[in-house]
Amino acid sequence: MSRLKSWPVWMLMGLLAVAMLTVGANRASGPHTQSERIDAITQRLACPTCQGESVYVSRAAAAESIRNEVARQVAVGQKSDDQIIAGIAATFQARVLLVPRATGFDSLIWILPIVVLVCAVAGLALAFRKWRRNQGGGATDEDRQLVARLLAEQNDVTDEENI
Amino acid sequence: MQRRVAPIVAALIGVVAVALMVMLATAKTGNKDSASSPLLGKSAPVVKTTTIDGRPFDLSRRRGSWVALNFFNSTCVPCRQEQPELVKFVDAQKTATNPVEFYTVINDDSDSAVKAFFDANGGDWPKIHDDDGAIAVAFGVAKVPETWIIDPNGFVRLRIIGAVTADFLTQKINDMQRQMDGS
Repeated sequence: MSRLKSWPVWMLMGLLAVAMLTVGANRASGPHTQSERIDAITQRLACPTCQGESVYVSRAAAAESIRNEVARQVAVGQKSDDQIIAGIAATFQARVLLVPRATGFDSLIWILPIVVLVCAVAGLALAFRKWRRNQGGGATDEDRQLVARLLAEQNDVTDEENI
Repeated sequence: MQRRVAPIVAALIGVVAVALMVMLATAKTGNKDSASSPLLGKSAPVVKTTTIDGRPFDLSRRRGSWVALNFFNSTCVPCRQEQPELVKFVDAQKTATNPVEFYTVINDDSDSAVKAFFDANGGDWPKIHDDDGAIAVAFGVAKVPETWIIDPNGFVRLRIIGAVTADFLTQKINDMQRQMDGS
């Protein structure tokens, strides 16, 4: 009966989730102007002569040159953001990528944390299983026999004292 | 259980460590003489600009000659240090049978500063503008000095990061010229 009463709520929540996903997937996102596009691209590129600065932030000569190149390519309008970044990364040999690539040796950066996480979870699962088994499921026959023997010995002692 | 798992885990860690060491030990270190670049062996990027004297410069029109592009900034210490070697190299090329055309690519510097430097330190070869750093980006040059050698077919043959000596440049170019003549 309670199931019948709650189904409209679940349906409403489902519809709401679908509506939100649809709006989220279709809403206009990303840069709207050329200038915003240049900023977005340069924020993904590292200044090759700086430590941890993006081309967007850096004022180094190399960063200025890359920013100008991005602006030129955006103005031409023939390449996507990824193509522009790939082109610049190819000549600078990935030194300018702020987000490491998911191929070759660089892919270890993405793979290793997952491997470590899986190993850690598996290790924990094994440890929990072992602890639970060690805790046992109650007294064994040996335990009962031991308790019975000790109780019997205690009873014998008290009987002797009473005599 | 613990006795069985521990050696397996230790062996796995050992295998991963060895694999990483092997991977690092066998990784390509590149040619010691030429710095790596995806442009090596490929057509040189388009370079269309003007010289400091206002003359047009188009790298594609230099085909048929060996071309050296030296990225330079008058405030950069290694650039200043290598200048006597470059002067020596260019002077020697004047009498060579197959002389190299030498160009300075002005990297983020003013014409006046470049002219003053060359007036004081010698070097009568053409100096070309790199407007907005387009040439530097096309070649993947982040720091100066860098020297690039382009063969008569317009292919990039050598990239040298840092200061060069006249003897090293001469030897490398002679080797490449011999290699090209023999092929």
